[in-house]
Amino acid sequence: METWPFWLAGLGIGAFVPLFALTTGKALGISSGYSEMCAITKPASAERWKLWFALGLPLGGLASALLGGGPSVSTSSAEMTSALGVSGAAQLLLLALGGAFIGYGARMAGGCTSGHSIVGIAQGAKSSLIATIGFMAGGFAATWIAILLAGGAQ
Amino acid sequence: MKPVVFLSAGALFGFLLSQARATDYAAIHGMFKLTDLHLFGVIGVAIATAAAGLALLRRGASTALNGERINVSPKPYHKAVFAGGLVFGVGWALSGACPGTALAQLGEGKLYALATVSGVVLGTWLRQRLASPSVKPARAS
Repeated sequence: METWPFWLAGLGIGAFVPLFALTTGKALGISSGYSEMCAITKPASAERWKLWFALGLPLGGLASALLGGGPSVSTSSAEMTSALGVSGAAQLLLLALGGAFIGYGARMAGGCTSGHSIVGIAQGAKSSLIATIGFMAGGFAATWIAILLAGGAQ
Repeated sequence: MKPVVFLSAGALFGFLLSQARATDYAAIHGMFKLTDLHLFGVIGVAIATAAAGLALLRRGASTALNGERINVSPKPYHKAVFAGGLVFGVGWALSGACPGTALAQLGEGKLYALATVSGVVLGTWLRQRLASPSVKPARAS
């Protein structure tokens, strides 16, 4: 799929942050939207907007795929298979496990790659810088351990 | 504000994440293998742009267009931030996704992201369930 160059995508994501704040008064954040999913049966809190925001994300993914001539529907990740040699049910389990780490870690750290790494660092927040160093360190470690377990770098 | 505003904003952000290839397993894997520096470029430009925009906003406006006070303040630091970051990073690498991109992937037709999204919901629930009140992150974060 043909996508934007890095600088254009970066400009778009970066500009989104102040424009969203100017429009709604709010700081972009996504991982806490999952807290709203967990609280779906409870009365709507002031944070309910995060649920709507999260539900909008797939629509944007669809629009992007349509622009690229898609979407093409797939039930397994060919890239993950070629990187780590896992497919089928094992792949889905690994994705779910990864997702659980993401959710657990984001709530421990108080944010994710959007709220901490983009919005937080852009404000010069110490907590966000430390969280992001953690994101990167955890990612590097897991990637290289996974590659070694899968039988060496390809 | 109406849900449709946030739904639209989410759609726009999902579109941007997809165009940035942040929804691409190979791009994430390549970033951590240092064989594809594309996403480092995206993140760097995004931080610089957001910093400039927020600085302008701080000087220019204290009230949003909807009349609300603009409330963008640094997240608090506590001792679980780094450890939580590490845990998150492991998940980021394993799934090739983060909380936002997993949802955008679904729209791209990558139905396997349902497993990732389910995992994130489970992990979020588990942490909120297990965390003691003193370190339990506020739902607003």
